[in-house]
Amino acid sequence: MFGSRNDVPLDKDASSRFLPWLIAVMVYLATMSLIVALTMNKLANRWDQGLSNSLTIQVPAGQSPAERLAIEKKTVLLLQEFKKIPDVKKAEMLTDGELNKLLEPWLGKDVVLHDLPIPLLISIELSQSSARTLDAINALTAQNLPTASIDDHQRWLGNLLGLAKIIGTVSLLVVLLVGGAAALMVILVTRMGLAIHRQVVELFHLMGAQDAYIANRFQLHALKLSMAGGFAGLLLAGLTIAAFSTLLGQANSALLPSFTLTATEWGLLLLIPVGASLVAMITARLTVLRSLALMP
Amino acid sequence: MDFKPLVRFQDVHLRYGNGPDVLHQVNLTLEPGSFHFMVGPSGAGKSSLLRLMYLAHRPTTGRLSLFGRDVSQLDRKETSMLRRRIGIIFQDFRLLDHLTALENVALPLTITGMPLEKVRRNVSELLSWVGLADNLDSKPPTLSGGQQQRVAIARAVIGRPSLLLADEPTGNLDDKIAERLLFLFEELNKRGTTIVVASHNEALVNRFNHPVFKIINGEVRLIRSAPVIEQNTESGAA
Repeated sequence: MFGSRNDVPLDKDASSRFLPWLIAVMVYLATMSLIVALTMNKLANRWDQGLSNSLTIQVPAGQSPAERLAIEKKTVLLLQEFKKIPDVKKAEMLTDGELNKLLEPWLGKDVVLHDLPIPLLISIELSQSSARTLDAINALTAQNLPTASIDDHQRWLGNLLGLAKIIGTVSLLVVLLVGGAAALMVILVTRMGLAIHRQVVELFHLMGAQDAYIANRFQLHALKLSMAGGFAGLLLAGLTIAAFSTLLGQANSALLPSFTLTATEWGLLLLIPVGASLVAMITARLTVLRSLALMP
Repeated sequence: MDFKPLVRFQDVHLRYGNGPDVLHQVNLTLEPGSFHFMVGPSGAGKSSLLRLMYLAHRPTTGRLSLFGRDVSQLDRKETSMLRRRIGIIFQDFRLLDHLTALENVALPLTITGMPLEKVRRNVSELLSWVGLADNLDSKPPTLSGGQQQRVAIARAVIGRPSLLLADEPTGNLDDKIAERLLFLFEELNKRGTTIVVASHNEALVNRFNHPVFKIINGEVRLIRSAPVIEQNTESGAA
């Protein structure tokens, strides 16, 4: 009207008070789910890149020290062969100190490895993983150390990546479900508004207001409320992520995800309240138009 | 003068849901520039007849034409445009309490997208004309019944309607003020607006020389023709 007042008094409805809170909760859940999806995607990429270019070869060391020494010599020769393969960046045998460190949680400190039938471990890092390189490594190993077994981490990496993918997909589904739930709430609130202001709506209708004019009143109201709620929800999610980041930073584990987001990812998160507001606006408009269509 | 009927009912019946006929076989024609009263006891069907005329309902059977258009053939946009040519004064005024008198009267213009400055100028002039120049920014709950009624009348006529429909506009007024209100309607009628006033106060209606339809049990009969109407054989109840 002449001021900024809506000529349908929707601001005074009870629904106007709870809709921003509901939208805030929805946007919070959607934002957290999207962050989980993004983080799992990044974590999976990190695992994939970190492990798909590495191999571990386990060589049974034999029963006696003499046998172990002989196998060690063969292993050193094999390492020289591996280094000739173009994509092999690094190939080395784990030292006793490194093996001790790996076994320390189970066997304790100061274990004399030569007294135990602990296998030798070869760690290989590839600049680029390809079937040809893996075939060459397999062939050389089988030829020189037939009892050795190669672990290219694919089995458990595959499981981890599968899990990460499932979590990511479920998170995106949650975003969609939350969006659907938000749309349903807007439909209910709009219908409530239409019922409360039925006389006003009918008055506008009888004065010759077109359906779009009446729908505009409701859609702008829904947009205003959902923008307020949406950005509050995003802010709350941002605070939660900041708290998580601080806690995970203190944990300092390579396996745990990092919640550091890029500018693009922040832009994506910013789209959630904007998207929620647009969904609310369009839903309100369609609901009103549908209801008005039933009026003569 | 254009003698094409402004309103024409042909064998119109109206019923709500599966109920009985509220209006039964209505045949009447209103010429442009005419002034008609509708009388009858409460519940006789006066408001229903007006509701058909301001397109709040459609006839259950029969044909209703407004401004020469069969209302059953109108699409939504055409219906809106037609409604803008009709001013309505409701029995309960239906003013919006959260808006000022000025904003209430402005509604029929703002919905057409008229520039606000022009709306303000037109509305201020009209409210001054009905004696509410000092109450432009007052909200309806702070106005007296008579002032509210004048706001309702101003809102009904601000868009210069071709047809003005008033449902029991004198219902809550004493005789003297009611008479003044009807004189105001006569003024509007002289400017070319077709007027239909529904009232149960037959004594008041009889003081004016205009044709009167009586509605009893949903049937509409012309019980008095004014001289100007009598000369026109096309108008009046069929």
